[in-house]
Amino acid sequence: MRVRATLLVLAALVAFEVPAAQDEKRVAFPQQLFTAPPAGSYSLPPIQAAPRGTVLDEQGRSRSLAGYLHGHVTLLSFIYTHCTDPAGCPLAFATLAAVRDRLAARPETAKAQLVSLSFDPRYDTPDVMRLFTKTYDGNGRKPAWHFLTTASDSQLAPLLVGFGQDAAVADAPGGARRLDHTLRVFLIDRRSRVREIYSSAYLMPEVIVNDILTLAAEDGTP
Amino acid sequence: MRKILLAVLLAFGLPAAADETCLSPYTTALIKGQEDYIHVWALGVKDLGDGQDKLVTIGANPKAKDYGKVVSSVSVGGRGEAHHMGFTDDRRYLWAGGLSDNKIYVFDLQDPAKPKLTKTISDLGAKTGYLGPHTFYATPGRMIIGTLSNTKDKGGVTGLAVYNNKGEYVAKYDLPVSGGGDGYGYDVAINPAKNTMLTSSFTGYTNYMRPLGDLVKDGEAMKKFGNTMVVWDHKAMKPVKVLAVPGAPLEIRWSPKAGDNWAITATALTSKLWLVKQEGKEWVAKEVGTIGDPAKIPLPVDISITADGKGLWVNTFMDGTTRYFDLTNPEQPKQTYSKVTGKQVNMISQSWDGKRVYIASSLLENWDKGGADNEQFVRAFDWDGKELKPAFEVDFTKEKLGRAHHMKFSAKPR
Repeated sequence: MRVRATLLVLAALVAFEVPAAQDEKRVAFPQQLFTAPPAGSYSLPPIQAAPRGTVLDEQGRSRSLAGYLHGHVTLLSFIYTHCTDPAGCPLAFATLAAVRDRLAARPETAKAQLVSLSFDPRYDTPDVMRLFTKTYDGNGRKPAWHFLTTASDSQLAPLLVGFGQDAAVADAPGGARRLDHTLRVFLIDRRSRVREIYSSAYLMPEVIVNDILTLAAEDGTP
Repeated sequence: MRKILLAVLLAFGLPAAADETCLSPYTTALIKGQEDYIHVWALGVKDLGDGQDKLVTIGANPKAKDYGKVVSSVSVGGRGEAHHMGFTDDRRYLWAGGLSDNKIYVFDLQDPAKPKLTKTISDLGAKTGYLGPHTFYATPGRMIIGTLSNTKDKGGVTGLAVYNNKGEYVAKYDLPVSGGGDGYGYDVAINPAKNTMLTSSFTGYTNYMRPLGDLVKDGEAMKKFGNTMVVWDHKAMKPVKVLAVPGAPLEIRWSPKAGDNWAITATALTSKLWLVKQEGKEWVAKEVGTIGDPAKIPLPVDISITADGKGLWVNTFMDGTTRYFDLTNPEQPKQTYSKVTGKQVNMISQSWDGKRVYIASSLLENWDKGGADNEQFVRAFDWDGKELKPAFEVDFTKEKLGRAHHMKFSAKPR
């Protein structure tokens, strides 16, 4: 009963948060006062290797993150589903959704994918993430959008450290809990190398799409 | 398990609670409160204390017991011309450079009262051929490092290095030597909404390590100063246009005010204020003001812009003067205040709310004045819009700390 009750609470939270994340009027998109450089007219040097680790998919199956990343151009952000800061996770959701819409008509990005990875496994169980998959039609549209979590804090920790994703627990009004973090979205190439990192000032869908196209045009041979 | 996550989260630190106006804007959300600490990157002085370069932390909150006092000091093991610093984008780490040892020291500010030296990056020269890491400008997950010189001839032709936040080399970008470019480097500042990065230009190792009195008498050496700024396509990291800005343009400050689309700089040798702005599609540089009497070479060395972009502090080294310019019309800055704040003054930083101003004394080891004029200090002032009123002072010579140079603010987690 306790598990069911918890899920109901989580479902209610998600039911509230999913539409909130989709409401672009609530989020603070950065100004873009320029035309993005054409895809392929610049290079994105490798910044760091994406960390190895284990994640849980929407069905609760244990999978290696490397297995997800290999062979794909991946746009990945850490999120937690009960985040309500318009400049935080909702901005990440809205950006990924906008990028996905722009990529939908680009067959050269068929191997691109989006990943939202929770850094709060305590709340964001596979059941919760599955609700997001359903809402966003994660596997039903191209590019696919995966909503992943981890089994435990110890499984999550090396991923946070490896990506260099900061986070800090803080109290929120009403006794709730908040995860303060620098909003970062990572662009990862087919060889699991981070090639671009975006924070709130840089989350411009047109630019991100051109970055993805730039990587998609590269020879992905390891 | 919960403890493990908490350990990781705490390892990344907690957000700072105060800020200044001259950071990269890509650091974690700026909080406009009272700073608790001033971190000072200080040059070691032979036979003074341990003689080493060090990060000195001073209490800056008037409500705290440590107000105006040195609360910690971290020496780095040698003396290498300590100069500038910059926070990583998450504000957890403070990177500090040595202009002669070509090293970068990474301090962990998890406990801002007690920074810890956690890494020394020593491969800048080997990876890039650049010498003299000067500006540390945070972008997401990375640091852009503006350098001053090169390891080959130690002249002024140099470039930008990029390292990731783990301290690993990522890429290098030469300053342009064609299309009007002189290849010289100094500061870096980015306007992400315009995808525009600006760089400025100073001089190379052979000049900045030479005693100033000798240098100014050497006409050939005095020709080897930068006279340009470069407009870059930031995404592509490619130079777009070279702007003629004669006389060594130094610090660059974009107006922090939302909607503003201009940057300002001061030229050290010609004592002018220059505005960089876009007219139509073209970026242009305009001389818009004079600082003191240029004939006397007052040597403007640092500027600090207000959070609303309507005011600018300027320090001139030779006459020890701090000036305030009204930038309401950035095309016509007007000096509205000046005060002699020391026998030699260099860096100036203000709090986000503009109510507090901090000044440090040292320019370069071999350019600082001698004898009684060689004051070494950090002086804090309160600013009410009319008068700089002394708040506290730390005498770096008396405290055996060395020469006070660049300053950054931090705060306890709140």
